[in-house]
Amino acid sequence: MKLRILERLTVLFSWAAGFILLAAVFLLLGYLLVKGYSSISLSLIFGEASPLRALLLEERVFDGLFPAIAGTLVLVILSIVWAIPIGMATGIYLAEYAGPRVKKMLDVFFDVLSGIPSIVVGLFGFSFAVFLHKNFSDKIGPCLLISSIALSFLVLPYIIRTTQASLEGIPRDIRLTAIALGATQLQNIFLVLIPKSLSGIMSGIILAIGRCAEDTAVIMLTGAVATVGLPKSFFSQYEALPFYIYYISSQYSTPDELMQGYGAAIILLLLCAILFSIAYGIRRGLTHFAFYRA
Amino acid sequence: MSYSMSDTIKIQVANLQFSYQGRTVLRDVTVSFAENSITALTGPSGIGKSTFLMSLNRLWENIPDAHMKGTVEIKLQGQFRDVYARSMAVTELRKMVAMVFQVPNPLPMSIGKNVAFPLKLAGENNRDVIACKVERSLKMANLWDEVKDRLNDDARTLSGGQQQRLCIARALVLEPEVLLLDEPTSSLDQASTAAIEELLTGLKDHLTILVVSHYLEQVVRISDRVVRFADDTIIP
Repeated sequence: MKLRILERLTVLFSWAAGFILLAAVFLLLGYLLVKGYSSISLSLIFGEASPLRALLLEERVFDGLFPAIAGTLVLVILSIVWAIPIGMATGIYLAEYAGPRVKKMLDVFFDVLSGIPSIVVGLFGFSFAVFLHKNFSDKIGPCLLISSIALSFLVLPYIIRTTQASLEGIPRDIRLTAIALGATQLQNIFLVLIPKSLSGIMSGIILAIGRCAEDTAVIMLTGAVATVGLPKSFFSQYEALPFYIYYISSQYSTPDELMQGYGAAIILLLLCAILFSIAYGIRRGLTHFAFYRA
Repeated sequence: MSYSMSDTIKIQVANLQFSYQGRTVLRDVTVSFAENSITALTGPSGIGKSTFLMSLNRLWENIPDAHMKGTVEIKLQGQFRDVYARSMAVTELRKMVAMVFQVPNPLPMSIGKNVAFPLKLAGENNRDVIACKVERSLKMANLWDEVKDRLNDDARTLSGGQQQRLCIARALVLEPEVLLLDEPTSSLDQASTAAIEELLTGLKDHLTILVVSHYLEQVVRISDRVVRFADDTIIP
């Protein structure tokens, strides 16, 4: 009898926890939409400029979010481009080559890395920029490149861990299939194991994309600024949506400006949604491609 | 030259010891196998039959915490060779000593690609050669007539018995000299089992076959010789 009640209570508690979580998500989204709905318009993105001309980079956008959207997009892509090869290679090493002792040691390192607060990573990026500025060229300072490198460090643990876990999760039968047919370890990794675990690895990349798109602490120390226009090069400062949201919510002078902040938040969520769906699409297609290509 | 090096011997195993995680699985196994014959390895499960097979193609080296002592010599390309010698490249060995597993393990690719996979591993790029060899080994595995019109279909759409014959075809495509099979029919129904037994009987003119089997009738039906495993050694 007592056990039954306990069981009921556990079920009830789980339901309640799930409900609270869902309610929180919907409340947040609803609040954002209700507040920011009125400010969503083409002029929020492009300001006074003509959208087409702005997209073709013929006209500069002054009072819109277009530069911040572009900045965030470039930043995310760059960070992921740095993080994928390093993260996957490390994950492959951990799963397929590392001996038990090395693995234990590196496990600790990567747990520490994933536990480092992003502001510390930002500070590291900033110091790195200062170091480069002092020792190499005074033209280098906080910029898109430094930000993306710092962000890639922030998300490396996601990619390392998911790569490692999905490789280690492959059953022994599949692991030995190609080996028994005369494959070298490298052939086995690239022709069977990686294609087989692509879907898991993509989940890690999706997490990493989300993290890169939303992180504010790293970029505010390493090159994001409030107004500078479209990013001109790897070595220029840039605008970014999360930084814009942070900036406007702490410095707004009129209710209209605050509304723009809500609008920016909605746009950031949309951007993430688009990036996620692209990644999901790639995930579905990639596994197929990996095995079936000619 | 000792008797074991006579013309009819294909595989010569001496003083083989094997342990997993400190537990001895095989102790002091000495046995040899004749060329172009089917030998059945029987005995209770967990007695080391699969391990024994893996010691012939060195597949156990990919399993953590396994240790082996003893010598394994196989006559490859007409010459007895110590498979654990430095000069023996393990990938080359596995191309000549092929293996088929208990559960059919086609890769998630098309039927044709599955059979062509070992050729790809070996670096064969000529499409005509590949197509020709794929057809030849599918015919050897008695599967050609069933799949010739759908070589581009996913291999996992085949039935269990067909999948296992596909795996045999895949193992045959590099023209191995020895074929190891680890309970190849234990997950299959009677008709599929019969098809595989028939196929193995037909194959022994080309190669030397070692098959682990639980089924006494099967052993009697197809094998030329039975080696029984008991208490970490064998009763020849």
